[in-house]
Amino acid sequence: MVIQEQTYRPYGYEIKEKRPFSPCRSACPVNTDVQAYIALISTGRYNEAFEVIRSVNPIASACSYICHHPCEQACRRCSIDEPLAIRHLKRFALEKASGYRRSKRRILKNTQGKNIAIIGSGPSGLTVANDLADLGYGVTIYEKHLALGGMLASAIPPYRLPREALQEDIDDILSKGVKAILNCQVGKDISLNEIIQKNDAVVIAVGLSQSRSLNIPNIDSDGVLLAIPFLTSVVFNRGVKIGKNVLVIGGGNVAIDVARTARRLGSNVEMVCLESAEEMPAWKWEIEEAMEEGIKIRNRWGPNAVIKEDEKVKELEVIKVLSVFDKQGKFNPSFDKNVKDIIQADTIIITIGQMSDNSFAKDSPLKIEGGRFSWDPNTQMTNHPSVFITGEVVTGPGSAIAAVASGHKTAHAVHLFLQGQLKPGLLPNFEKEKIEQIPEEIKGKIKPQSRLKILHLEPAIRCQTFDHFERGYDEESALKEAGRCRGCGGGAIVDSSRCMACLTCKRVCPYGAPIVKAYSEIRPEFCQACGLCVSECPAQAISMVSYDVREIRDNMPVTIGILNPDRKIPVIAGFFCTHHVGVKGFQVPDNIRVIPLSCVSRLDVLDILKAFQCGADKVAILKCPEDSCKYESVNTRFSLRLSRAKKLLQMLSIQPEKIVVLSELEVGELGDNHFFK
Amino acid sequence: MIVGSQKPFDEIWEMIQSFKKILVLGCNTCVAVCHAGGSKEAEILSEMIKVKAKQMSHSIDVNSMSVMRQCENEYLDEFMDNIKSTDLVLSMACGVGVNFLSDKINAVPVYPALNTSFYGGVPKEGLFIELCAGCGNCILHLTGGICPIARCSKSLMNGPCGGTDKGKCEVSKDIDCAWFLIVERMKLLGALEKLYDVQPPRDWSTSFHGGPRKISLEHIKAYEEQQGGQIR
Ligand SMILES: Cc1cc2nc3c(=O)[nH]c(=O)nc-3n(C[C@H](O)[C@H](O)[C@H](O)COP(=O)(O)OP(=O)(O)OC[C@H]3O[C@@H](n4cnc5c(N)ncnc54)[C@H](O)[C@@H]3O)c2cc1C
Ligand code: SF4
Ligand code: SF4
Ligand code: SF4
Repeated sequence: MVIQEQTYRPYGYEIKEKRPFSPCRSACPVNTDVQAYIALISTGRYNEAFEVIRSVNPIASACSYICHHPCEQACRRCSIDEPLAIRHLKRFALEKASGYRRSKRRILKNTQGKNIAIIGSGPSGLTVANDLADLGYGVTIYEKHLALGGMLASAIPPYRLPREALQEDIDDILSKGVKAILNCQVGKDISLNEIIQKNDAVVIAVGLSQSRSLNIPNIDSDGVLLAIPFLTSVVFNRGVKIGKNVLVIGGGNVAIDVARTARRLGSNVEMVCLESAEEMPAWKWEIEEAMEEGIKIRNRWGPNAVIKEDEKVKELEVIKVLSVFDKQGKFNPSFDKNVKDIIQADTIIITIGQMSDNSFAKDSPLKIEGGRFSWDPNTQMTNHPSVFITGEVVTGPGSAIAAVASGHKTAHAVHLFLQGQLKPGLLPNFEKEKIEQIPEEIKGKIKPQSRLKILHLEPAIRCQTFDHFERGYDEESALKEAGRCRGCGGGAIVDSSRCMACLTCKRVCPYGAPIVKAYSEIRPEFCQACGLCVSECPAQAISMVSYDVREIRDNMPVTIGILNPDRKIPVIAGFFCTHHVGVKGFQVPDNIRVIPLSCVSRLDVLDILKAFQCGADKVAILKCPEDSCKYESVNTRFSLRLSRAKKLLQMLSIQPEKIVVLSELEVGELGDNHFFK
Repeated sequence: MIVGSQKPFDEIWEMIQSFKKILVLGCNTCVAVCHAGGSKEAEILSEMIKVKAKQMSHSIDVNSMSVMRQCENEYLDEFMDNIKSTDLVLSMACGVGVNFLSDKINAVPVYPALNTSFYGGVPKEGLFIELCAGCGNCILHLTGGICPIARCSKSLMNGPCGGTDKGKCEVSKDIDCAWFLIVERMKLLGALEKLYDVQPPRDWSTSFHGGPRKISLEHIKAYEEQQGGQIR
């Protein structure tokens, strides 16, 4: 992440940077502030959610489809029920903000007067291009394929990643003025030396574009294919031919993609892998989806020989695997050669890993040792000072978002280099301390709330098409799902110079988060960010990391607007809990000024007073019924505040009936309700 | 801790309505603990005044702020310019704060928004009870830690009186008889016999009856007298 002035910063950014991250954020290779964007989604602020996401992730749309979402695996909700559907919420926000996103595209000038060439347009190369363009450099990408995006464009099958999504990311980057030279293989169409000569810096981002093969008899028979060329031919419609019975060798994610792709070409597909079902490196959900599509998996068998007939594949001989890993836990398979089996097949696709193709650097100054470029992880530099290297070609196989992280580091390194300031220890570090899991003693206070189902096309239908198979959330589902987030790390903090240790927060907090000694300290692992304590603190010493506690009041004059003194229809301030009504409920009659809240726990007596002070005739509060509130104790605190507010209004001769609380009412009925007329 | 409660709003309005520029000044120590005069209450009160002014078509400029304590110079000093530049300070402090600030600014009126009530404890959220009268001559060691001056309606030194009734005070069924409590406590402490000593009439001069009180730390006072000026 290159530090730039214009970058969007979510509320509380500075504070968050100094405190342990939410586990989701810490698990994300680029530290996407998940908590922040989910909170923004939950109040309908989709454009801001987009900004949070895009500020660290230039391939956000692609990630919203294919990211392996380590954030979800780390989500603190896992210990209660299921993780937030973070990736899917990201997709929702990006789709909602797409108009805004396009409207923000701007060409950026080469203010630095320096040029950088990037070889390879995968996630890492695109990230470097994005960041350096932001910093005012002239950037050119060389890509051997006809499309930008690396494996995302040339290998990941479109049923998982629709190309329109990837294109949104690429359009963002190209709109900044980044040049792309497609169909240009460095080493063949242009030499690396020439590129080095013509540019102030060069970044190698070539990924791992070659599939590994097996060293077994008859591997060169007709009908034996390699994974990446196979996927690329399908993606680019190069008319690849496979047989009726396809065998895929391998048990990783790429193998699953190969198998499901072959299935979509109409073949019967079987996978053979060394690992047991539990040991398979592919993600569980990918395996399940493949099996739903009728793909068979043979676990714990190893390929021994291809049996051919007239140079064509006929069968694969397999032998039983005894173990895959040795005592040190290293990959080192052992076999029982006496237990054999024969599997019929007319196509075999080998999917056992990738390696880099370094041939383009043959006559260049770059040093290659043991098939690897020599480089310094502290500076991302190769042995040649102006040539940098990034992404999977040096990190080894991983995820798209990990390649983005590598890209950010490299862009920063190039920038420092061109400014004459590059030295070790200055590159961004994404390894961040995280908040502990939800403490045992409060687990019982967090209501289980199941994750909103992500709908898939029926297996029988989806395995006949390359159309994307997963349906996005509609607004209602997205808001419900966003509402499950516990706001980790976005909770309460105390200004110790105002706190006088009155103990109120400790008494109010349903989760025992505050510890009050000389002053209150709120333990982030306990805090659920309900916000109850904020409005109760008599010294106004508490604020929230994730939102501005004064925002409602400060905006009230604008929210209510200038009123006609002769109005016939009352103007009503509507404090609406978005968990209860969603944002669809925001389309209400004109006389209701909607103020979305993510729970009435955040509604302050002062907010109600302020509404009247700004001229509202009445106040309506829409909240969840008692038993479905997301937080504990909200009803008690809410009724106390309500009765206080009514008392205060009475002192001002305003009838308490001017405040109404609705919880069962359907939003559509608002216009018919007498109160609103 | 000092406990107070807000004056009825109408009374406050009566007091302040003729002023054009008002600063509602919260005090963030004792009276904040009892939710009567901290920063939060100051902001609420200022909103109330704004609504009322609008209703009455008065134009009043009302602001609120708060300091840690209105009874010490250091907490006030950095805000004095701000505090002075108003027509009226509506203080949310206890009477100590109101006095202290009035003495400090002289030229601008400081009005009380609270009724200062007593020295109290907080047995639970939202409840404040009087436990000490600040009489200047403590006898709690003789009475099991229960103050008869503050907690007996008649401040008797040799109680209980004839009005005690099943542990309650004759003044009200809602008041515990302090002397009943004292007897029970002394039993528990195994010190009941101490109550047979009759307490002589009290010297009330240490209480308010001797005029306003002042305490200075001896060593500081002596040093200052010797040096002929304030320490600094
Ligand atoms: C089939 C498959 C499925 C995957 N699924 C997922 C997934 O679901 N989720 C996930 O997070 N990750 C997934 N990955 C991994 C992800 O694609 C990679 O982590 C990521 O693409 C690595 O990015 P990179 O920039 O390092 O390299 P790449 O994406 O490999 O990009 C390198 C680019 O350099 C170009 N290039 C190479 N040599 C030259 C040359 N000489 N001249 C010009 N251009 C050159 C290549 O054409 C390529 O476009 C998958 C990978 C594969 C292969
Ligand atoms: S509950 Fe929300 S903030 Fe907490 S780890 Fe999960 S997604 Fe992140
Ligand atoms: S409620 Fe406010 S003043 Fe009281 S202890 Fe908590 S943070 Fe401090
Ligand atoms: S009351 Fe809510 S916001 Fe405040 S500390 Fe407790 S959990 Fe956090």
